[in-house]
Amino acid sequence: MVKNYDAVVIGAGNGGLVAAARLAKEGKKTLLVERHNLPGGFATSFVRGRFEFEASLHELCGVGSITGKSPLQKIFQEVGAADKIEWVSLDEAFRVITLDENEKCDYSMPLGKEAFISKLEEYDPGSSAVVTKIFDLIESIEKTLDFVSDIQDFKPSMIKEIFSEHTDFLKVANYSVDEVLESLGASQKTRDIINAYWCYLGQPTDELNVIHYFTMLHAYIIDGAVIPRGRSHQISTALLEAFTENGGDAWFNTSVKKIIVKNGVASGVELDDGTQINAKAVICNASPYNAFTKLIDEKEIPEKLKKEVNAKTLSAKGFAVFLGLNRSADELGLNNHTYFIYPTNDNRRCYELSKKLETNDVQATVCLNRAFDDCSPEGTSILYMTSIFAGDEWSKVSVKDYYKTKLSFAEKMIDNFEKATGVKIRDYIEEIEISTPMTYARYTDAPAGTIYGYEATKEDGIVKRIVFDMIDKGIQGLYFAGGYTTRHMGYSPSYTTGDMAAKAAVLAMEKEAK
Amino acid sequence: MSKKKFSVNGTFKDSVNTVKFLTERKQFINSAEAVIPTRTDDFGVNKVAKSIHPKEQNLVISRIEEHGDIAKSYYFKSEGAPLAYFKAGQYLTFKLEIGNSVVTRSYSIASSPASALSGEYQITVKRINDGFVSDYILDNWSVGDKVIAYAPEGNLIYNPLRDAKNIVGIAGGSGITPFLSIARAIAQGDEDCSLTLLYGCRTSDEILFKAELDSLSEKNEEINVVYVLSHSDEEGYEKGFVGADIISKYAPEDNYSIFVCGPGGLYKFLDTELPKLKKEKKYIRFEVFSSGKKAEEEPKEYSITVINRGDESVIKASSSETVLCAFERAGIVVPARCHTGECGFCRSKLVSGKVYIPEGEDKRRIADMQFNFIHPCCCYPESDLVIRIN
Repeated sequence: MVKNYDAVVIGAGNGGLVAAARLAKEGKKTLLVERHNLPGGFATSFVRGRFEFEASLHELCGVGSITGKSPLQKIFQEVGAADKIEWVSLDEAFRVITLDENEKCDYSMPLGKEAFISKLEEYDPGSSAVVTKIFDLIESIEKTLDFVSDIQDFKPSMIKEIFSEHTDFLKVANYSVDEVLESLGASQKTRDIINAYWCYLGQPTDELNVIHYFTMLHAYIIDGAVIPRGRSHQISTALLEAFTENGGDAWFNTSVKKIIVKNGVASGVELDDGTQINAKAVICNASPYNAFTKLIDEKEIPEKLKKEVNAKTLSAKGFAVFLGLNRSADELGLNNHTYFIYPTNDNRRCYELSKKLETNDVQATVCLNRAFDDCSPEGTSILYMTSIFAGDEWSKVSVKDYYKTKLSFAEKMIDNFEKATGVKIRDYIEEIEISTPMTYARYTDAPAGTIYGYEATKEDGIVKRIVFDMIDKGIQGLYFAGGYTTRHMGYSPSYTTGDMAAKAAVLAMEKEAK
Repeated sequence: MSKKKFSVNGTFKDSVNTVKFLTERKQFINSAEAVIPTRTDDFGVNKVAKSIHPKEQNLVISRIEEHGDIAKSYYFKSEGAPLAYFKAGQYLTFKLEIGNSVVTRSYSIASSPASALSGEYQITVKRINDGFVSDYILDNWSVGDKVIAYAPEGNLIYNPLRDAKNIVGIAGGSGITPFLSIARAIAQGDEDCSLTLLYGCRTSDEILFKAELDSLSEKNEEINVVYVLSHSDEEGYEKGFVGADIISKYAPEDNYSIFVCGPGGLYKFLDTELPKLKKEKKYIRFEVFSSGKKAEEEPKEYSITVINRGDESVIKASSSETVLCAFERAGIVVPARCHTGECGFCRSKLVSGKVYIPEGEDKRRIADMQFNFIHPCCCYPESDLVIRIN
């Protein structure tokens, strides 16, 4: 059987969903194919007993609740999904606690620039001058990025403008977070607090690109963060609904066997049942490890693309414990929404320690009731704890040891949480689910169970990706969306690259039509 | 913008550093090999994931054991990849073609997790009135037959972070199988809990695995078995139904968790009995259960328009049977597993029409309710329906 579409999207992860919704909105006849029975990929939820657990989202930035700067909300509005999602704004940034007795720290930080600076001043008296400078730089970098992303038609005069008005950006473009904070004279305590978000990118700040991190700080602290009431599954399903309302076809439980590429041109896909889908554009939300080994003929893959994948390193592998507790957050003393618990303030050391099961004590934990208390039945609460593993320790875990290993690591995370916060939770666990790198591999085909795509190393930081990597990967008509493209992996980046891929495809189709 | 320009190491050094940006990146990519990257399936983590959660398992029946004329145990070997490992208490879902129907049914695994590693699964099928699939299996499956099962699933499993260390298992009829698996796992040292099994049957003739259960209980301090007969008064057995009194009589002094698996009648009885024990909800766990049928004096006929990969077909449905049942009768394949609304594999979009979901069986996500997605396995038609399954 042969069917004809303008575009086919492989995978209904965050990138694929936005790409599909955008294409349908632009009037393109689009087919979205997903091998799983649900949309969203990582962005989903699941029910155990009387609790609905969020599978992966801690807080979403890009739907700014403070400044109203909302690049994601703009996308959701344009594709027709925004009015289907109910957002809850957060006031709290994080509480960061270290387990090391010798350098015990415990800081609770709010969202909002002014509030953040004054709270930091309380913890680290005299810091506000330096922290204000840091925020000036964060805002200056943001201005440059806005300037660049607003460019529709490039004019040579713009280069002059960049060199005169955007020198901050140019100067720091190739520096790490540590290099810049040090040059600004930030104290160790200030740096420990400002760097607390490092685990959301999985990269220590001695090599994490400063523009990457500062953009994230802008999005969280200055613009504000939200959480969808219906868990991330609400965003995924809203995007799917918007897509089908605009005439898109979505086929679930359906796998793509091949991307049809001949002489450097992609012309469609072949499905698991042999159906051939002809399309002018193919958007691939599958990882390159699937695309370049299973879906595309080897002879059709440009050398540069193979090198690009092989040069990069897979980022952190995920682990999470989901707890439905039979006491309210108030009764238990769960006073915060986001807890970062680290073995030490030295995030390079945390990263190195996270390579082994025995030494990994990193966790980012969310009490959803602190976003909205009715997320669970009265008298109960939801707590989910996430850890990240650098390296590939889980590949050494055998089938026979699997259940034991996941249980004992989960137990350590619960113990660490109790130790760090003094809150007792162990006796109140009514429901528990544990996800491991194997779980992410199972549901999303994530290579090695990674949750952040490629490591944001010095050589492969986000700025370099944006400048050098292309959405259009050198095969005409094939566009990549999602966590392995020009941004980092994560909610905002994946939605953004999905939108970029769709827009590039629409532009190419319009050029072709002319 | 402030006129004061920012600098890290001085303008010159900063500019050199930024220019390095270009060369570093080129070198980084060029130094890599231009070979096909690792296949996703070849990463160690993905291999284990696939081994524990294979898409389908091709099994062959290696032997059949008869339990009088009330039940049979089926033993399976793998036809391909090693059998998927599991947690004691989980079930297997089989996919069968019966006449023009394609059906899925789940059976708890009776064998231990260790025996899966050595290449064998066991399930036990009991003859029940109107058990469409169970009867078909009992009458048709023979040694050497090939069958398809999905990966093990299910949440009636012991978790030391959640459950008390002592489990009081309440089994009714063929609901004994997950407890047999748990008992075997305890005996083999794979589960670190104790099990007090309260096994309800009508008469002693209906007790399955008595010899093995007696032996397990004799050899292991952690395992105790009590038989409770509802329809006969025999020496050495408790008489009646497993309720609060019997539980209190045999339950350990320390804290305990109650696990229940059995037919609907048992669950109804326990609904009024268990509250007497005043236990927290977290200490009571039921294996999910649904008959897939609704008692109706005059079932109504409806039609369902089924949309699958863009193609539409119209099938018949009865108000007394689930929507999934209508799909199965019409030979429409949906990836159903649990048949109780819990697993969500059969999730489909209700484009139009009205369905009835029995109280307590609606286990959908919040957003699925918002956007009218349903689990057909626990929905009964109340009008003509249009449903997109794929």
